[in-house]
Amino acid sequence: MVEELFSSEIQFVNIILIAIGLLLLMSFAIVLFFYFSRKKIIKTQLEKAELEIEYQKELLQSTIVTQEEERKRIAQDLHDAISSKLNVVSLNANFLTEKEITPSEANKIGESIHKVTSTVLENSRRIAHDLLPPTLEKFGLQAAVEELCEEVEETKKFTLEYNIQYQDNFIASVNELHLFRILQELFSNTIKHSKATKISVSLITEENLLSLQYTDNGKGFDISEARNARGLGMSGIENRAILMNATCNIESSLGNGIKVKITSHTQT
Amino acid sequence: MQSYIKIITLITVYFSIFLPFIYLRSFTVNSKAFRIFTIYLFFIGIIQISSQIATKVLELESNIFISHYYFIGQFIFLSIFYYKILKHKFIWFVLILSLLCLTIQYIFTPNLYNVYNQVGMLFSHLIIIIYALLYLYKALSEKIEFTLLNIGVLIYFLSSSLIFSSGNLVFNVEIPLETTQLLINLNVVLYFVFQILIFVEWWKNYSVAKSNS
Repeated sequence: MVEELFSSEIQFVNIILIAIGLLLLMSFAIVLFFYFSRKKIIKTQLEKAELEIEYQKELLQSTIVTQEEERKRIAQDLHDAISSKLNVVSLNANFLTEKEITPSEANKIGESIHKVTSTVLENSRRIAHDLLPPTLEKFGLQAAVEELCEEVEETKKFTLEYNIQYQDNFIASVNELHLFRILQELFSNTIKHSKATKISVSLITEENLLSLQYTDNGKGFDISEARNARGLGMSGIENRAILMNATCNIESSLGNGIKVKITSHTQT
Repeated sequence: MQSYIKIITLITVYFSIFLPFIYLRSFTVNSKAFRIFTIYLFFIGIIQISSQIATKVLELESNIFISHYYFIGQFIFLSIFYYKILKHKFIWFVLILSLLCLTIQYIFTPNLYNVYNQVGMLFSHLIIIIYALLYLYKALSEKIEFTLLNIGVLIYFLSSSLIFSSGNLVFNVEIPLETTQLLINLNVVLYFVFQILIFVEWWKNYSVAKSNS
């Protein structure tokens, strides 16, 4: 009996049975492994998608806020510089229709109307220029940036150093506009908030690299705080840099001004 | 215990005949892979019936010769099935090469017809297992059809490959009949599980006729 149990044939069959059991176990393990891997992969994919949606939402949010602010500014401009002036014109024109008016009075009123309409004309030209400078379209980025710098210099609030060496059509015109807007935004931030006395701007293209450097010696700000304040300049600048496939590096801290570097490689 | 096994054996025989017909119900509205699988089920049903006839009606001494048709047919149908769902061209190449090897094997050893073809079975099983694994891998990144079916193929083929390759033990007179019977019973139980998975796959995904596909 004992001999029979331990005979090699029986042992052989036992080994086969054990092996079958192991194979069964292995197949279950494989199935479970794939099942859990799949679950994990789907989970990470989902998280990634959610993160992306979240980012898109923030982007949208900041775009809308910027748009609203821009509208508010335009409305303010229109109201202050045009509507109120036109009111004066309308009032004066009304005087002219009255019957008992002397020619000298009429002349005086006409003169005033002429004066006010010229200012209105000048203002509307300025507003249009602020919205989209015609120089950019007509003479390119180099001229537009130089003009912008001259305008800033005219305020006499800062000493401005600038070095613009932009090769025409180095980047696509839509990206030129982004770059111009970034610079505009940087200037307007400096003017509005920084209390700086010195600004330096350099825009240089060489081989296939474009670099824009902007520094001021203003009061600076805390970058992480500025990032959280959506719709403000910084995120707008970063978003524009992303859109033009450029890298944007903003350095600032309280009391140390701001240093912005935007670099873009063109495909060769 | 033995009586349970007898019942399960009977169920698997009836299931083999019943399954192809429930798959046939949704034959026309489904993919080519589904149709190939239905044909495979019919093939299995025919093999089951013929082996029953061989032993019960014709009272032949052995129905082992049927096993050759079984594993070769199964290999061909499942290869085509996996070609349809994996869409790898090399499956055709492997199929043709394997069939060529098998033909050479049978030409040089005609005696093989009276015993189990261990090597042929093992290799055909292994190839199908590899396809099942490839399909599982595909399931990681995309939503796939036939998940349960594929799991069934993997579990049954992986564990039964050893049973089939040790099938020739039946001819070893020194091993008592009970132990070889144990192997056969194990196979029956595993096959029953496989059939249940095939049925559940149909029940979950194909029992309600798709009107818009």
